[in-house]
Amino acid sequence: MTDRTISVDYLARVEGEGALKVRIHGWNVEEVELQIFEPPRFFEAFLRGRGYAEAPDITARICGICPVAYQMSSCHAMEQALGISVGGQLRELRRLLYCGEWIESHALHIYLLHAPDFLGYPDAIRLAKDHPLAVKKGLKLKKAGNALMSLLGGREIHPINVRVGGFYRVPSKEELEAFRPELESALELAEETVHFAHTFKFPDVKEDYDFVALRPPNEYPLNEGNVASSTGLEVPASRFEEEFQEVHVRHSNALHCVRKGGGSYLVGPLARYALNYDRLPPRATSLAREVDLTPPVRNPFRSVLVRAVEIVFACEEALRIIDQYDPPESAWVPAPAPSGPTEGCAVTEAPRGILYHRYRLDEKGLIADAKIVAPTSQNQKRIEDDVRHLVTRSVHLDDESLGYACERAIRNHDPCISCATHFLDLEVVRD
Amino acid sequence: MTPAAPSTPPPTAAARGRTLPLVIGCGNEHRHDDGCGVAVARALRGTVRGRARVVECDGEATALLDLWEDGDLVVVVDAVRSGRPVGSVQRMEVTAESLPASFATTSTHGLSLAQAVALGRSLGRFPNRLVIYGVEAGELGMGVGLTPAVARAVDEVTARIERELAPLLEEASHA
Repeated sequence: MTDRTISVDYLARVEGEGALKVRIHGWNVEEVELQIFEPPRFFEAFLRGRGYAEAPDITARICGICPVAYQMSSCHAMEQALGISVGGQLRELRRLLYCGEWIESHALHIYLLHAPDFLGYPDAIRLAKDHPLAVKKGLKLKKAGNALMSLLGGREIHPINVRVGGFYRVPSKEELEAFRPELESALELAEETVHFAHTFKFPDVKEDYDFVALRPPNEYPLNEGNVASSTGLEVPASRFEEEFQEVHVRHSNALHCVRKGGGSYLVGPLARYALNYDRLPPRATSLAREVDLTPPVRNPFRSVLVRAVEIVFACEEALRIIDQYDPPESAWVPAPAPSGPTEGCAVTEAPRGILYHRYRLDEKGLIADAKIVAPTSQNQKRIEDDVRHLVTRSVHLDDESLGYACERAIRNHDPCISCATHFLDLEVVRD
Repeated sequence: MTPAAPSTPPPTAAARGRTLPLVIGCGNEHRHDDGCGVAVARALRGTVRGRARVVECDGEATALLDLWEDGDLVVVVDAVRSGRPVGSVQRMEVTAESLPASFATTSTHGLSLAQAVALGRSLGRFPNRLVIYGVEAGELGMGVGLTPAVARAVDEVTARIERELAPLLEEASHA
């Protein structure tokens, strides 16, 4: 009986830095550790003592890929704490800004991080040499998402135009209409992306996921909705901590979030799609049918197709919002000063899955306590489960092939280690 | 990471209609010496006003491709770690050869400056001339402020770029 350890010291094509260690004893997988060694970033601690209005700009700095998610979850949580509600056109503009982030984040992952796995290239650079047209299209799509974020957010990374209650400035009707041609072109590129991803060969894998995503009453989720699961849970964000808990594990600087009394669960595109397929707009639905993407999708490799369909959704939704746009009289809903200590929480859908924020404010509106649960924290344990199943199926492979297969399994979920704390290095131990 | 900042004001009438030199200062001013490229951009912005474009960028590959596509002369300033003394300045004109690996170590993203160069070549999204200044970084931890040796290097790189662009700027202002 031989023991071996497989190590990937630096996981490529993920956001942030981490490593994977797999310990195998004979034919048994004894240990799988997604090791996040990037140091903790202490955002929750240094939010304490800051004014409630600072949270959107401070938390946006957690991630350069999905800053809008942090701004949205913090704004909604503060608005709940202060007793204000943001509806109408301001709500629509928030969805529009979020669409920009989904388009840029998903396009980056599909074309530069994930496609090389399916087409047999070690990275996007080698892929671009043989498939320059495809990569150019991907970059054009990403650029459209970035441009939308700049238009609404003032700049594409860490937008500066978002505030509790709405925006500092809202765009004119003409500004949004001027962007329509670029979005129409992005929608065409998004449709091509679905067909491009449909040409990939997918390993025949089926995982038994507990999907968790937002489920709003009548739209595909972005900013609002109950937290729902494929096992029947449906609760408001205020009950998140009753159902989910963060636990510390020795091998990771990021906390693992698990179901209370249960185990791992999955957030992100596969979960949203499984729970909200009936909320997709017409073109996204029609394309999903065209490529036989019947929900729920339990093959993690096919997440690339779901991301492509979600880009189609984001483009359709953005066009809908622009077409019905009527600039609001005020760019924001004023928030009253807190009458005493208060608390608020919210969940929104970052490109990689649900993002929970909770804040406790003192009577002066200063943050007394903050809790942030990022999508990758929630997916870590489930990613380890995927890797464990893969290694069990593929234990006959040599270390190098097995290491590569593990990296692919991780990339299926587009982890953002920068968010979970911040980087990924694979180690396979065969004793 | 420092997001792309607005470029300098629009070109003067004389310079309008021609491709202005572009200086890209890469980095994150909140990670100490990683902000050296941004510091050079800010120092240059006043002196080349209207005659060259100056932008700040986090160094993310696709953002760089968007910035330098169709450019004539593009100068990029970024922090590097190559084992040289802190504050050392390397200048290279990127033509056929790949960038040294030291240009791939300062990005927290999947694609770095070196990979942007390689990707740009594959996609034909590359300026006519690309000059890269690499400043050897010392401190890359969280926080603002450059180490003294890197601050001196910022002055040196700023002056060298001014000299390098001077003939072009002169030409632009008389055109």
